[in-house]
Amino acid sequence: MIPDPPPPLYSTRPEWADIVPLPQYEKVEPLAPILYSAEYKDATDYLRGVVKVGEKSERVLQLTEHVIRLNPAHYSAWQYRYETVLKIQWPLENEIALMDELADKFLKTYQVWHHRRLILTLSKKAKEELAFVEKILRQDQKNYHTWAHRQWVLAFFNEDALWAGELDFVDTMMNKDVRNNSAWHHRFFVVFQSGVRDGEEDRERVVRRELIYTKQSISLAPNNASAWNYLRGVLEYNKLPLSTVAPFVQPYTKPLPDQLLDLVDVENPPPGKGADLPCVAAIEFQADVYEEAGGSEDVDKAVQLWKSLAGEFDTIRKKYWEYRIQQALLRV
Amino acid sequence: MENFTGHRDPLPPLARSAHIAHAKYALAHLPGSLVDFDASRMAVVFYCVGILDLLGALQEETTELERGSWRNWIWEQYLGGRYGTGFRPGPFMAGTSVNSGYDSPHIIMTYAALLSLAMLRDDYSRLNRQGLLRFVGSCQNRDGSFSNTPNGGGDYDLRNLYSAFCICCMLGDWSSIDVERAISFIASCRTYEGGYGQLPSCEAQSGTTFLAIACLRLAPPGPRPGPRLTPQEQARSEHWLIHSQDASGGFRGRTGKLPDVCYCFWGGAALRILGAHEKINAYAFTQFIAACQFPFGGVGKAPGQPSDPYHTYFALAAAALYTPRLEASVRAYGQWDSITSANLNPLLNATEETVKWAWRHMRVEDSGRRR
Repeated sequence: MIPDPPPPLYSTRPEWADIVPLPQYEKVEPLAPILYSAEYKDATDYLRGVVKVGEKSERVLQLTEHVIRLNPAHYSAWQYRYETVLKIQWPLENEIALMDELADKFLKTYQVWHHRRLILTLSKKAKEELAFVEKILRQDQKNYHTWAHRQWVLAFFNEDALWAGELDFVDTMMNKDVRNNSAWHHRFFVVFQSGVRDGEEDRERVVRRELIYTKQSISLAPNNASAWNYLRGVLEYNKLPLSTVAPFVQPYTKPLPDQLLDLVDVENPPPGKGADLPCVAAIEFQADVYEEAGGSEDVDKAVQLWKSLAGEFDTIRKKYWEYRIQQALLRV
Repeated sequence: MENFTGHRDPLPPLARSAHIAHAKYALAHLPGSLVDFDASRMAVVFYCVGILDLLGALQEETTELERGSWRNWIWEQYLGGRYGTGFRPGPFMAGTSVNSGYDSPHIIMTYAALLSLAMLRDDYSRLNRQGLLRFVGSCQNRDGSFSNTPNGGGDYDLRNLYSAFCICCMLGDWSSIDVERAISFIASCRTYEGGYGQLPSCEAQSGTTFLAIACLRLAPPGPRPGPRLTPQEQARSEHWLIHSQDASGGFRGRTGKLPDVCYCFWGGAALRILGAHEKINAYAFTQFIAACQFPFGGVGKAPGQPSDPYHTYFALAAAALYTPRLEASVRAYGQWDSITSANLNPLLNATEETVKWAWRHMRVEDSGRRR
């Protein structure tokens, strides 16, 4: 695929002849100088020229777009573009359409999201945003900026209609990858950190629902740090002791039994066939349960579990487990 | 590899000369493909000078002429305006300031410039301290966060807050910012996992976790006595950070992601600040860093990946924190001594010697001896 030739330099275009380009001036020996392409040098010479005289017009939108496409991290080009959009009252939906394309190309660049938020703050058009985020996430399911943008949209507009589909959305992302920590984090944000919405007023019911959800996820995929962090997070945030889920955790701390019982226990879903057990996170959790109980027999049990982690199941954290043993014995 | 007698294979050699060459090359020129750094050249300068400082190469492997020239370029990015004085990332908007402040200081680049000058042993005689304090103060937002340029411009995440705190610490003057409000912003970035996100409501990430933990330690004492984190919060943060260490020895940035050598610094330094550095596997940690060295100089984000100044700097900074903990036999090959003796200050992210220099020469004096 032969790439398109670069557009003619602004210095050769008669419609730009009235602008005095401002070359980048380095009075002293430059440090970490970039060997700019002729295209970038020319475009930024004209950007500086335009900023110096303060012109804000449609051709400035073309110029800033050009610079941004060459260097999406050029925050001054973005900022000047935003001021130009405001000044000439450029249709915001046109700007969002451009941002749709640029977010797709440059999803890892902070500026493209920041600019989008500035425009949305003015247009107040949140409706398509969630679908847009879902589309961008298909490229990179864990992209930090994309998830942060979704959280911003939800919090800033704070409309029930927007929040309503979030738990289903999290499920969709979990079905693609149950180990997507961004999805788990988003769930916590939606359920516990964004106020109480209609239908969610019974907090005990909500907590029970979340615990069951997490336990079911663990039963399908036990070795998932995100799920165990979420489990701990729900308990801690709602001031429940770890022992609340101790019966659930127990089976995960041992190898899979030869005979799997066909249990349907919603509160304590057991590990499924083929589960890779014992599960390190479960052993750790169980040890914390014993430590929380605090009696000397419980501490002994915790120490045994930590020893198994240090010696066999989680040797990379040997020093940490030895520290936990030491601390617990000191306290007894 | 560690065998059953506890004998551990030595680390692969530290390619000190190759890393020095990598840093000096970048300082001399960056290819056009790195045009993304046009608005952050000062950061690249910080990484490169930092690499040389960590390796103890500034005195012996650079000339006074070179260092003088570098200091000149950094000072050339120093400017003032309505909001005080600071450093811009580079001259990419030079000459436009007549109009609307587009050629303006940037808070992260100001931090990078000040530390780079300390590494280069500048005397700061050109520094307007009151102007700098005014600039930092003008970057603070009402919710306690900091923007990267005055008056609410640009982003407002924890990197800016950390830069502000470091600057105030080096100046020894916190009067131009609202510390408690900044602390409450940091607290609002904490997540259920025990780490901190870039903004409130964002996922825990070790880079921002380091920034938060460093800021909480750097801050002057608050209205209530004692540390800024409760013992439970500290334990939860330690737990999350320690679990960031992957079986390979490297650190990941978020739960469930792959290790990347820069997180060896972010996670490793955060643990160092919390006093929990003895609880990780320092041997596997440094084995991972050593394996990320790129054959032609510099360090990449993972073994086999191409190198860049950012990953090289943070890999070496992480090694500086943890190689001193390893037995001499493991550090026998290559020039690990140069990094072992770097003595990195994990709070400000520079060697102790450099930090001392900054403190001695940058501080605002009551007597008014310094501007």
